[in-house]
Amino acid sequence: MKNIFKQIKFIPVALLLLVSCEDLDLAPENVFTDSTYWTSVEKAQTFLNTAYSQMQNSSNFFYNEALSDNAFNGRGDNAGAASIAAGIYDPSLGRLKSEWNDRYAGIKTCNLIIENIDRVPNADPAVIARMTAEARFLRAFQHFQLTTWFGDIPLLKKDPSLQEAQTITRTSHAEVVQFVLDELDAIAPLLPKNTQLTNAERGRITMGAVAALKARVLLYEGRWADVIQTTEKFMAMDYGQYGLFSSYEGLFEAKNEYNSEDILSLQYATPTEPRSWGEFFDMAPISAGARLNALAPTQELVDSYLMLNGKTINEAGSGYNENMPYMNRDPRLTSTVVYDQYQWKEANGSIRTINIKPGTAPGNPDEFVQGSSATSTGYYTRKYYDVEHGTDLKSGINLMLFRYADILLMYAEAKNELSQMNSSVWDQTIKALRIRAGFTDAAALSFNSALGQPALQEIIRNERRTEFGMEGLRIFDIRRWKIAEDVLNGYAHGAKFGPTSVDNGYLRVNLRTFDPDKHYLWPVPRDERLINTNLSQNPNW
Amino acid sequence: MMKQSNCRRKRILLVRFLLTGILYFGGYFYATAQSQKIQVKGIVTSASDKLSLPGVSVVDVTDPRNGVNADFDGRYAITVNSGTTTLRFTMLGYKPVDVKVNGRSEINVVMDSEISSLDEVVVIGYGTQKKRKVIGALDQVNSQAFEGRPSVNATQALQGKAPSLIIQQTNSEPGAGLSINIRGISTLNNNGPLIVIDGIVGGDINSLNPADIDNISVLKDAGSAAIYGSRANNGVVLITTKKGSKGKPMAIQYSSLAGFNNPFYFTKPVHGYENAMLRNEAAFNSDAANAVFTSAQIAELKAKGDTEWFAEEIVKPALQLNQNLSVSGGNENSTYLVSLGYLDQESNFVGPKKGMERYNFRINLTNEFGKFKLTSSLAYSKQKISDHSSSTSTLMVDAFRVPLYYTQKDKDGNYLTNDVLQQFNSLGILEQGGFRRYNNDDLFGSLNAEYKLTNFLKVKGVFGGRLWNGSMFSRTKQVNFLPQGIYGADRDTRDETTKSLDLNTQFMLEFNKNFAGVHNVGALIGVSNENHSHRASALYKKFTDPDLGTPGTETVIGDDSYNSNGTKPDGNPASSKNSLNSLFGRATYDYNDKYFAEVSFRYDGSSKFRDEIRWGFFPAATVGYALTKENFMENYRDKVGNIKLKSSYGIVGNQNVGDFQYQTTYFTFQNAYGFNNSGVTGTGYNFSNAELQWEKAATFNVGLEADFFKGALSFSFDYFDKVTSDILIPPQVPGVFGTKLPDFNDAKLGNRGWEVSATYRHKGKVLNQSLTVNIGDSKNKVLHYSGGDEKLTGVEELQVLLREGLPFNSYVGLKRDGYFQNWEQIQGAAVPDGLSVQPGDNRYVDANKDGKIDDNDKFIFGNPFPRYTFGATYTADYKNFDLSIFIQGVGKRTMMIRGELVEPFHYNYGMTMYTHQLDYWTPQNPDARYPRLANNGTQSNTNNFRRGSDMYLYDGAYARLKNIQLGYSLPANAAEKLGMSRFRMYVSGQNLLTLSKVKFVDPELSEFNNNLSPSGANSGRAFPTQAYYGMGIDVSF
Repeated sequence: MKNIFKQIKFIPVALLLLVSCEDLDLAPENVFTDSTYWTSVEKAQTFLNTAYSQMQNSSNFFYNEALSDNAFNGRGDNAGAASIAAGIYDPSLGRLKSEWNDRYAGIKTCNLIIENIDRVPNADPAVIARMTAEARFLRAFQHFQLTTWFGDIPLLKKDPSLQEAQTITRTSHAEVVQFVLDELDAIAPLLPKNTQLTNAERGRITMGAVAALKARVLLYEGRWADVIQTTEKFMAMDYGQYGLFSSYEGLFEAKNEYNSEDILSLQYATPTEPRSWGEFFDMAPISAGARLNALAPTQELVDSYLMLNGKTINEAGSGYNENMPYMNRDPRLTSTVVYDQYQWKEANGSIRTINIKPGTAPGNPDEFVQGSSATSTGYYTRKYYDVEHGTDLKSGINLMLFRYADILLMYAEAKNELSQMNSSVWDQTIKALRIRAGFTDAAALSFNSALGQPALQEIIRNERRTEFGMEGLRIFDIRRWKIAEDVLNGYAHGAKFGPTSVDNGYLRVNLRTFDPDKHYLWPVPRDERLINTNLSQNPNW
Repeated sequence: MMKQSNCRRKRILLVRFLLTGILYFGGYFYATAQSQKIQVKGIVTSASDKLSLPGVSVVDVTDPRNGVNADFDGRYAITVNSGTTTLRFTMLGYKPVDVKVNGRSEINVVMDSEISSLDEVVVIGYGTQKKRKVIGALDQVNSQAFEGRPSVNATQALQGKAPSLIIQQTNSEPGAGLSINIRGISTLNNNGPLIVIDGIVGGDINSLNPADIDNISVLKDAGSAAIYGSRANNGVVLITTKKGSKGKPMAIQYSSLAGFNNPFYFTKPVHGYENAMLRNEAAFNSDAANAVFTSAQIAELKAKGDTEWFAEEIVKPALQLNQNLSVSGGNENSTYLVSLGYLDQESNFVGPKKGMERYNFRINLTNEFGKFKLTSSLAYSKQKISDHSSSTSTLMVDAFRVPLYYTQKDKDGNYLTNDVLQQFNSLGILEQGGFRRYNNDDLFGSLNAEYKLTNFLKVKGVFGGRLWNGSMFSRTKQVNFLPQGIYGADRDTRDETTKSLDLNTQFMLEFNKNFAGVHNVGALIGVSNENHSHRASALYKKFTDPDLGTPGTETVIGDDSYNSNGTKPDGNPASSKNSLNSLFGRATYDYNDKYFAEVSFRYDGSSKFRDEIRWGFFPAATVGYALTKENFMENYRDKVGNIKLKSSYGIVGNQNVGDFQYQTTYFTFQNAYGFNNSGVTGTGYNFSNAELQWEKAATFNVGLEADFFKGALSFSFDYFDKVTSDILIPPQVPGVFGTKLPDFNDAKLGNRGWEVSATYRHKGKVLNQSLTVNIGDSKNKVLHYSGGDEKLTGVEELQVLLREGLPFNSYVGLKRDGYFQNWEQIQGAAVPDGLSVQPGDNRYVDANKDGKIDDNDKFIFGNPFPRYTFGATYTADYKNFDLSIFIQGVGKRTMMIRGELVEPFHYNYGMTMYTHQLDYWTPQNPDARYPRLANNGTQSNTNNFRRGSDMYLYDGAYARLKNIQLGYSLPANAAEKLGMSRFRMYVSGQNLLTLSKVKFVDPELSEFNNNLSPSGANSGRAFPTQAYYGMGIDVSF
């Protein structure tokens, strides 16, 4: 037995060796913890950068156009555009959930900044105040987007606990709008004008952006007098220095970023850097580097462009020739849409023809072939195509959410709604835009006082459609004008490549239905209501 | 199948495939010339039937290198150095016999059979046990399971070899992962078992050379697994590698198996012209203005005939070579085994050689110096994988989608694009698009020291671990297609390296003593630490030199490059560390091998939980009763066989969560946004749950072991009932909350099931046969989920449901009720909201009879987890021929198939239909499997394919002839003439025949991985299934 104990005494020694072997209190080395995060302005700024990035993604920016009568999502169901445009969706559609979740994720980032930024020690109060104001702008922007799609929504003035999030109810649309407007009024003085931004700060939220968002909120509410008040001050340069950029075509080119027309845009770096977008890979002419076409402008959009004489194509004396449909048209058509026989400018300045019409140049990839991966409508998109693109048509061009032309058209629309349209307002707005677009015919430029308010409303609305074609705004306009049941029912069409027996030869590309009692508001996502039974649903869903 | 036969001549045990090499260990020996040499000869017979025993080994105990084997008639002759020595007769399945020579020249020996092999030693957690003393629910798989099969890794070889050991794959590509599961679903996250190799946790089962494996124990119940405590919830797989044998001369074994993996698809596209007609039919049904193809074009396509299907064109038969060489032996005090293995599994993809090569090297040594025993093993494995630069599922699906009127490559060698694939085709990428090469070094070692303090008490120390270094080097080369399309324009050059270290340290004290001849008492107590750490880094460059991949003027460093203190592009940290300290023990008692009792426990402290709640206790108790040891059962025992009953109950755990999940963390990432055209960094956050704790599973097991006909038939049955509580699962987080939350201990799951395995061995005069069958089933049910009534997760068109009272991840969707056959039926019928349908469209069951089809009409269907998994092995040997047939399958499974395999012209991405889809609705085919054709985006298509229904669900039951082998061994004397102790050649085939209900996909592929999260299989994205044909030789010297 003595022998045993002699041996056993080594065991505790060995155990001691073992216990000291590895500590169980391990700390991560690649991440911060709550106690180490809010320690500098720089760290707060990177948090704010995340909030900026959550404003909007490029996919929704482009595919939102296919929710409207301007474009068709012919492959897949990108951003839910095919389902929503055709009216064949229910509350389980992925886009509804992602729109909801992504925007509330953005709101959470903003609320976390607003609630924690004061923890940063030794910070300049002015810097903190400005960053807080930016976060509040972004929070207001997110709420505005949500309420525009869904109507009543949970309003989050502070970051909710899980329990609160599981039981929260919807706040009325009116109250959400009021919150947004109040916030915008409160933060405007805390933000710089565009002229005060240093180069390095370009892309950040300015007083002008606040005013532009405010004008848009008021416009969507039809508060015409308030729209006029805000836009007039804008046009008086109270919020910064803005103006129309000289070239409509150039407005969407990389080399002209940060021009005087850009009020707020989604910021991208360069085509070769990771912060870029690549939607043109599925939008551009195939011969220009796209892999397929998933988003194509419709004939309805093409038809909305005026003749150079200012007349619509159907108007008597317009000079429109159905066989040469793209001749003598509003130059913005060429800057927006690629059509058959389009004169495509290469990066080196050379020009080549895009052949789309079947049989013109058989076998070329751009040709319209039913059911192929080329265009489904006979059209491709030009606006925002980046000649300096990177691989897979990646681009770093900033995508404009608000531009000065919008201020002018909001002003014109509000003035006309209040029957205050006159030649002075016209000249400041429609005429200025048409001159910039390249119209020279006096018939297109001058104000026709003989037109009444309803006719002018048509003209202004159409001007808005063509000025902002493929910029993702049309769907919001047709919803607030309550014309969706007119323009989103029946077939969306493509170019005149079909047999004349059907719709006079214009391709039927997509049958759409829009139920005005139901479709003006998106349904609250199914999953959200499964978790939170306190959430009510929109009518008829 | 078993032929009646009056077996009278040779008794060769079924395990002979494995053991022939050891039995015939004659070969090289040298008898030292000495003066008193005498020759001893005789006949060895079996006690039970008095028949001669061939192949028995006869060794001179004083000179272990001196040994011979008895011949076919049981005769042996051995020259010994002295008339006073002892001869030892051994043969597997028989009790060894030692006979003193005492100067005799003829010694006849009778050997007692030991057919139930109850003295066989079974590996259990932190020790071994005699088989007759085992009362836990564990299965043994021995090395026989791996022999002669072209198994690429041990996991694959285990499929079907033990009941309720469920091996599934999502892809049959070389190097693709397999999921292992024991006894079904008992948690809502990872259901993979703990793998322990030679006593060390943390090794990789797939880097082992299957030929090095001696045996595998599968611990299924809490009684056997609780000693692994917090990680034993999903069972434990203990792998023991081969060692040399004491007192045996050097034996050299060489085996080589070469064969071809022939790819095949279950799916076939329709003829090109047929597809053109079907496209027209879909367009016509969708009121399209134009036909897609004119009749002239269709006639032209028909005249021209089909082009080769792209999917066929990108694959070819691929060579597979398995080679193994081992040298083993030992003297009285030490043993050694050195083995070398080489595996070359070529990929079926065309283009530059792709596939996997693995080199294995192993040394296992045991040394005894009196009371001290040292076991050491060192294994090195190098794995080299060459791959293409793209993603296999993209290549497969692109190739699958193209109808048979396009070509991939013209006669000038240009790669062609077409209006289905505008950007690139798979062939061009495989042939010219660059590569991805993995080069992994895996060093695994263990040192096991044992010191006998007394004859009943020993102390053991184990130290071991694994050092793994993985690297990846890849280059994406630009390929230009005609008429347009570019692949790899970024010209990426990428490097990744990871180094990981797993260390185990264990100290144990073991007590074993018999009291009064009948009380056997054993105890074990131990402490251990296991820790894991890894560091990874990556450098990604774009726009590198097209030839060398070196940097040039345009080259930029990708922002997804990371240092080892950073974050990988997939969001995981590049480095990590965790550690587990444990105290564990076991006490066993049996009364004369009749009554058994066992308790075991483990007390674990994990770095994954916060300090205050870090430790968990996991106990288990087992009892056993060898019924036939009772005197009153003597009659039964002699006439029928043995019966043993056993039962266990215990708690095991699961700690499968991220390393720092209990802390809220903030991480930064580059290029979140941009200002002034340059990217800026953003911050993200992961919310924590500081109360995170172990999952705990209470497991009850009851089992029966029996044998009949003197052990010829053995049978075992187990039933288990397991309740896992505090399951780690993320709570239901509404979108309004704005971020995800980590796992909470939030659910409870019940899992019940049973397993049966039976083996029948039959020895005939010339024909020996055996049949082993195993089958198991488990059924799980969610007992509680506090995150809400239920959780629905979308899986493409369908959803899976987590709801109390139902199996986890049951499929949910609309139920089809045939088709609308005419317009009258559509009048006033319930259809999905907002849709108008046409005759030939799916009609759904309006469950709540509210006149419309919506979310309230969803049905709950089956679940994707396999049930009634089975395996059957039949072996036979006749004279020098041997045959083995292995069948494996699943009795019941709900399988989701989707994408182009179900929907014609899927989303306009797929442009061909497949032959199985031709059973679609037309007025003439009203009872079709599929609805009528209609274009994507039409109301009909949306009704039929975008409303997830049971149309996407299929019966996944199957039986597959997994392996068949036919071998021939040279007669011993013929082999000896060639200088070998054994020579066997054989042919082997794998996956030769499959019986299944679903004909157009491989039923073995699962759409879910081990975490039961969707893997994207079964949508035309899977690598082809391979049928293997090969030939091999086994040689022993």
